[in-house]
Amino acid sequence: MATMTNPIERNEFRHHFVVVHPLDDAPETKVDTDSLGPMPMTMSVRVSLLSLRAYLVLMMLLVLYHVLDLAKVFG
Amino acid sequence: MSDKVLTLPAAGLETEVLPVRGRVVKSKWARDLLTFLMVFGPGLIVMVADNDAGAVSTYSQAGAQYGTHLLWVVLLLLPVTYFIQEMVVRLGIATGKGHAAMIYQRFGKWWGLFSLIDLELVNFLTLVTEFAAIDLALNKMGVDPRIGVPLVAAGLVLIAVSGSYRRWERTVVFLCFLDLAWFVIAFWLRPPVAQIVRGSLLPSMPAGGLTPDLMFLVIAIVGTTVAPWQLFFQQSCIADKRLRFADVKWARLDTFLGACITITVAGCMMIAGNASRVHGFTFTDPAQMAMDIGTFSSGFLKNAILLMMINAAVLGTTAISLSSSWAYGEVRGWPHSLQLPLRKAKGFYFVYLVSVAAAAGVVLIPRAPLQLIILGVQVLAGVMLPSAIIFLQLLLNDKELLGEHANRPWNNLVNWTIIIVLFALSLILAAQVAAPKLFPAA
Repeated sequence: MATMTNPIERNEFRHHFVVVHPLDDAPETKVDTDSLGPMPMTMSVRVSLLSLRAYLVLMMLLVLYHVLDLAKVFG
Repeated sequence: MSDKVLTLPAAGLETEVLPVRGRVVKSKWARDLLTFLMVFGPGLIVMVADNDAGAVSTYSQAGAQYGTHLLWVVLLLLPVTYFIQEMVVRLGIATGKGHAAMIYQRFGKWWGLFSLIDLELVNFLTLVTEFAAIDLALNKMGVDPRIGVPLVAAGLVLIAVSGSYRRWERTVVFLCFLDLAWFVIAFWLRPPVAQIVRGSLLPSMPAGGLTPDLMFLVIAIVGTTVAPWQLFFQQSCIADKRLRFADVKWARLDTFLGACITITVAGCMMIAGNASRVHGFTFTDPAQMAMDIGTFSSGFLKNAILLMMINAAVLGTTAISLSSSWAYGEVRGWPHSLQLPLRKAKGFYFVYLVSVAAAAGVVLIPRAPLQLIILGVQVLAGVMLPSAIIFLQLLLNDKELLGEHANRPWNNLVNWTIIIVLFALSLILAAQVAAPKLFPAA
């Protein structure tokens, strides 16, 4: 954790606080997402996501057809 | 509060000593206030930018057609929009990475690619609607859009390429505060206070009952208040600003204040629409509404509404274009930060530039089918929102990734309820547009 809200231990700053802007602060350690790899998913989650994807593709095609129809592309 | 600036080695870094610039304050309240002001930004920007050109059009249309009857719908969306963005806050702070990067890493390239394509497609179409609104407002103000639109586009590029996150954030926060002019506009129009309180707190059905038009508008209000790009934008913005774990509560407060402002401003837009309705005008678009209001009030109000339309579109454009650039940069592994100068993040800024320039260019094409694009955007955004939130929900339940910052059971209950309602609404919206014959007119 960086120094953001920690009171400074020096005598002259004993009753003071130092506030540091996030961009001026030292980088803090975050979750190491690179080492985690892909999320383990159960079969039901996979199937749900695939169904969702299929639904989205279908709806996109439907919307595209409707917009082209409104634009009188199909005469 | 002292102006003293202290530079000291960062704590906790034993191998490397980095200088940290801090501001010294004497009291806890000053520390809290200053910390909040330093963290403040991403939450306000994502919320206020959500009141973009499409939102101005939707909310003012709702007011113009149904008066103050739909104010309660907007108020109901305050917790919805806050809960969704609060999840983004936790995810962004815990990982220090953007939403697109997280989907790629945790769900794999296949899902990541789909999410990215969805985002870039809807974002680009939304950007076209932002510039369409700028074109419309400039026209009504007597400015030639062939000059005005490229100038606005150039300004949008300039505020992002300065190589300083802080400079960009300050400029955009200033534009967000300009949005408060909607309060002045609403107040000036002598709002019916009792009617507003009733419309906000007591759900009621407008005269005519639940017609397909009313249903469409309610769905449009929901769709415009919670948009997929917001998830990507705020998480990347938090990562770019390098918010820390200790900032979570302040980032939540930032998001909550932003949500309160955006919902109240949305109410003001409805009040403006209501004023034009009371004077017998029929709504066509917000620019025409401004002209109508100008006939029974001052010219100042007319110009203020037109300028606020442009401001809304500018805020929407910078946030949406950045969500595209950040997402693309994260996925491609390019340097992607507003802190970087142009020469060090060419790809990132190139995507931003192309997004802005292409959308502005489409608007300037004579006889471009803008109305069709606007319609398509509303439907696509509505259709894609629930799926975007499902990825967010899965990530927020990933204990391996988030640990103590993962969702709690009550978070999940609230969020799944929101997802189910949004899913049902998006299905109705898509069906209404794709197969209007299924919904006979009242």
